[in-house]
Amino acid sequence: MKARDAIEALARQRGDAVAVCALGMAANEWWAATRSEDSFYMHGAMGFAASFALGLALSLPRAPVWLINADGSLCMNLGCLLTEASQAARNLKHFVVANGVYQTVGALPMVNEGRTDYAAIARGAGISRARSIETLAELEELLPGIAAEDGPSFTVLRVEPESGFLRTPPMTYEGPEMKYRFGRALERKLGIEVFGPQGY
Amino acid sequence: MTEMDATAQIHAQLTKCGIKLAASLPDDWIAPLIKRIAADNRIRHVRVAREAEAVAICSGAFFGGVRSVALMGATGLLTCTGELATLNLRHQIPVFLIVSQRGSIDDHRIYQEVQGRRTIPLLESYDFPYHVIDRSEDIGGIPDAFETCRMQKRPFVLFLTRRLVKGEGASR
Repeated sequence: MKARDAIEALARQRGDAVAVCALGMAANEWWAATRSEDSFYMHGAMGFAASFALGLALSLPRAPVWLINADGSLCMNLGCLLTEASQAARNLKHFVVANGVYQTVGALPMVNEGRTDYAAIARGAGISRARSIETLAELEELLPGIAAEDGPSFTVLRVEPESGFLRTPPMTYEGPEMKYRFGRALERKLGIEVFGPQGY
Repeated sequence: MTEMDATAQIHAQLTKCGIKLAASLPDDWIAPLIKRIAADNRIRHVRVAREAEAVAICSGAFFGGVRSVALMGATGLLTCTGELATLNLRHQIPVFLIVSQRGSIDDHRIYQEVQGRRTIPLLESYDFPYHVIDRSEDIGGIPDAFETCRMQKRPFVLFLTRRLVKGEGASR
């Protein structure tokens, strides 16, 4: 399965979910597929999109939160799975786009070169709804059920490594602008107050 | 000032700040405060496996409109300076951290001495504001520190000294 196809399948099933994307390929592909401002695209803190998404999910218990993670980022913070399991946020879905390489730096192989069973690690951490999906057809079949089930869930999307350097360009805004676009999008979408009356 | 007095007062001030989520990884100085917050069912307590998780969880909570605090030791703070820089400094996301000020002259733990010498110069090099609470009468300033964190839109470290959380006298 191609990463772009997998991400586009997620985007079609997203519904009202707020998304948090790991930096690099996951963020770039999600931006290309959705152009959505109610998504946070990590630019740093590699590994910690998962923790950011958990904090968001715990703070917005009635809003579905989808984490679009990647295997390189997951491996920088495997402990996030223990925290996700212990917090048991029903509104959090964790997807991992797994290609076994660091794609945006030239597809250099990751540690253990794609042999790791991340779903087994997630189950071992205590997330019982964990699975690994190998094909687009299987993803299309299972995704409505995944979207509808209670979280926390953990779904690995096994995709092919691709060699194109920065093949998909990143979103067209960054830094503080991303903060304000995302925060204002959530204020409009959910009727919450992220920023105070003076804008900070 | 007893240990319970200080932690109770800090807890009360955090409640006054409107804190609804706390993410923590303990060291022995800050453990009593974490235990107290964990027992408060008005605050969602998140135990983490690494301090940078607490930083990112609080950052996510900011966008959910929820006021939060990250609690950790000074050694843990050192482990997450990269995330504080590339997430919070880059996007101007405020995160309020309460940290034990290890390596002070009354902290006679050899494995804390580097933290004592280098933590504040490191924060200053990142331009992260900080404030030290050393006496019980200063605890009432916590809401001002929290508001300053929001206004400055960056990590803000509130240090708790040994004298405040453990009482007078050096550790042996």
